Amino acid sequence: MKSLIVLALCSASLLAASPEVDAYLQQLQTDASMPFDAGRGETVFTSEQIGKQGKKIACTTCHSTDLSANGKNVNTGKVIAPLSPKTNPARLTSLKEVQKWLRRNFKDVYNREGTAQEKGDVLTYIMQH
Amino acid sequence: MKTPMITLAAALLAAGSFYLLAAEEHHEKRPYAAATPKTATPDSSPEAARYRNECGACHMAYQPALLPKRSWQKGMTGLETHFGTDATLEPTDHRTIAAYLEANAADVRPQGKHMAKIAASLASDAPMQMTRSSYFVRKHRKIPARAVAQPEVNSLANCNACHTKAEIGSYREREINIPNYGRWDD
Repeated sequence: MKSLIVLALCSASLLAASPEVDAYLQQLQTDASMPFDAGRGETVFTSEQIGKQGKKIACTTCHSTDLSANGKNVNTGKVIAPLSPKTNPARLTSLKEVQKWLRRNFKDVYNREGTAQEKGDVLTYIMQH
Repeated sequence: MKTPMITLAAALLAAGSFYLLAAEEHHEKRPYAAATPKTATPDSSPEAARYRNECGACHMAYQPALLPKRSWQKGMTGLETHFGTDATLEPTDHRTIAAYLEANAADVRPQGKHMAKIAASLASDAPMQMTRSSYFVRKHRKIPARAVAQPEVNSLANCNACHTKAEIGSYREREINIPNYGRWDD
């Protein structure tokens, strides 16, 4: 039974992320206290913070609340392709890109680096939408 | 007879050098304008591609020839707060892009007369803001504010919202198409 659950979890994540991003997620999990949870990830993604510029901002300010839709950079107006790997298969394929955007965007929205827990939760949320 | 000839030659020489000096001085007001190709040559190098991928993810990948070397150096040393945003790069990408921008800066490899004029007229307190260069301000001063404020444009820094060939470094007047306004005749 346990191996079946593990298998189901693995195949679900393989659908949404490349092997290197998957391995990164597993590595983050070893540094996090709770199993990753899409619901907590949604809170990370949608909650308003006082960002780097001292103004209210959330991930959704640029990415919108619909992960399958285009977003828009609030500073430049440039269109951002959907975050959902189901709509946009290029998402979560490059570990380098994933790490870069997690680093930058946590700094912009939360004014600090994300914790392993937060990064894993938000990645899990994105993978399921 | 000999002496007047020498005097004449000396006078001519002096006049000639004065003319050259004057021309030099005049030329200095537009340091990059002469001998600059009218538009940019497309750059298909891997460095240019890296630049477009990394910096072009958030905004138009401004041609390196829009700013002088010192401006790019300043911009690339402050990416932790880049116009209010974290734009940090991986160390390898950072080195590649910094070198690319410096090697193709306006005062190193000028490309395109409009770009050269922007780079040559930057505000002294804003070395990274091409929109505040006196040439840029003059060329955009008659554009209605609402044409810029509309979501299709957003800001004057969005060159490619109206300059239809900005992505390839061409800023000719006949290529302008302002969304919901149309062509622009200065």
